[in-house]
Amino acid sequence: MKMEDMPLSGPDNTRLEALVHDIYSELVDDACLGLCFEVHRAVKQGYFFLDETDQESMKEFEIVDQPGVDIFGQVYNQWKNKECECPNCKRLIAASRFAPHLEKCLGMGRNSSRIANRRLASNNNMSKSESDQEDNDDLNDNDWSYGAEKKAKKRKSDKSQNSPRRSKSIKHKNGDLGSGVSTEPYKYNYNTGISYETLGPDEVRSLLTTQCGVISEHTKKMCTRSPRCPQHSDEQRRAVRVFLLGPSAPSLPDPDAVVESESFDIPDGQTLMSRLQWEDSPDISPTDSASSKASTNHSDSKRPKKKKRTSLGLNSGVVVGGGGVGVGLGGLGGGLGGLGGGLGGLGGGVSLTGGGGGGSSSSSQSNISLSTKKKRPKLSAPSISSIYDDLN
Amino acid sequence: MSKDSQMRAAINQKLIEMGERERLKELLRAKLVECGWKDQLKAHCKDVIKEKGLEHVTVEDLVTEVTPKGRALVPDSVKKELLQRIRAFLAQHATL
Repeated sequence: MKMEDMPLSGPDNTRLEALVHDIYSELVDDACLGLCFEVHRAVKQGYFFLDETDQESMKEFEIVDQPGVDIFGQVYNQWKNKECECPNCKRLIAASRFAPHLEKCLGMGRNSSRIANRRLASNNNMSKSESDQEDNDDLNDNDWSYGAEKKAKKRKSDKSQNSPRRSKSIKHKNGDLGSGVSTEPYKYNYNTGISYETLGPDEVRSLLTTQCGVISEHTKKMCTRSPRCPQHSDEQRRAVRVFLLGPSAPSLPDPDAVVESESFDIPDGQTLMSRLQWEDSPDISPTDSASSKASTNHSDSKRPKKKKRTSLGLNSGVVVGGGGVGVGLGGLGGGLGGLGGGLGGLGGGVSLTGGGGGGSSSSSQSNISLSTKKKRPKLSAPSISSIYDDLN
Repeated sequence: MSKDSQMRAAINQKLIEMGERERLKELLRAKLVECGWKDQLKAHCKDVIKEKGLEHVTVEDLVTEVTPKGRALVPDSVKKELLQRIRAFLAQHATL
């Protein structure tokens, strides 16, 4: 029983060796038993075979090793989601826009030192909205510089593809395609520019007395040069004023403006009446009559059907109003009457669109009337009064 | 023979009392995992389980199937080391 009794030499050595082996095999059996318990438990709990996968999923999730694709077999688009961090302002810039941005940010470009200075000044409070604003500033910087006009235009077309303003203008154009009378020689785009939309009526008025104000076809903004600027013709200036201020306030300081306005004059009473009938359709306005020539071919093919439908479906009030204008014009007569007729015809057109906006039936037309309604009230108010003045 | 069994019981008790048995067990397990013995046995267990059916497998089945193979698969180096440690322990405490 006592350890001291145990002999370590002699024939007992073999006994001791056997003892050692017994202990060893006991330990190994313990280990085996532990493993068996472990495996049995795993089997009964159901997680023993979890690491095994069937052949289908092995095939499905096989690692792809081919050039041009990632390990999942997807084509790796190398131009997508590539962004670089600007070392100067720490913003993430799309790789394709990085070089232009860097030019501006570091102030090494043509007119970018100004922008860079501003950026440095505003670097302290760098927020997202601020950076957006800066972008807009960059845009505005390019507005009236000569060579940059193309750039700005391109940028805008990129950016505002989804912006509400853009979509609105597209709608507007579509409406013109369907309804443009296109008797005018002007080719300017009457779409209101930013500067016009952001200004109030009074501001527009004062602006138009001091500036050229013609709305550019490309930038959709008003020209800020002098009223005699050589780039735009007097007709264009006049048309802009008629559009923005209504026909009653053609405050162009040109004496020839009155003469020019005779382009609105229709000498023949019959053509005037037909014109009025055309303007029965709710989406026609005097501004529409100044639509681009590109729309003529389109609209001519569509025109006859639409005209019939709308003139038939008109409610009586509008028809009477149109007739009233026609009668008044007939009574006036003479050269002065010609001018008045032009104005009256315009006024009639405006008021008709204002009143008849709800009368449109087709879906496309209703869209247009929605988009045009916003501007109508401003225009129709003075124009109606001018009609009454003329009639009285 | 009674003396032999007495001695055996005394040694076992000593092993447990000193904690040497736990230490040896831990050492053996680490060594066996290290040399892949555990994975080999697990693969064998899989075969056994598949053969018997997942639902009908018992611990006894596993023990009877696995233990002989487990004994045979222990690498010589591990076996030698373990025997060495047991001998050393016995020599240390037999002389007391």
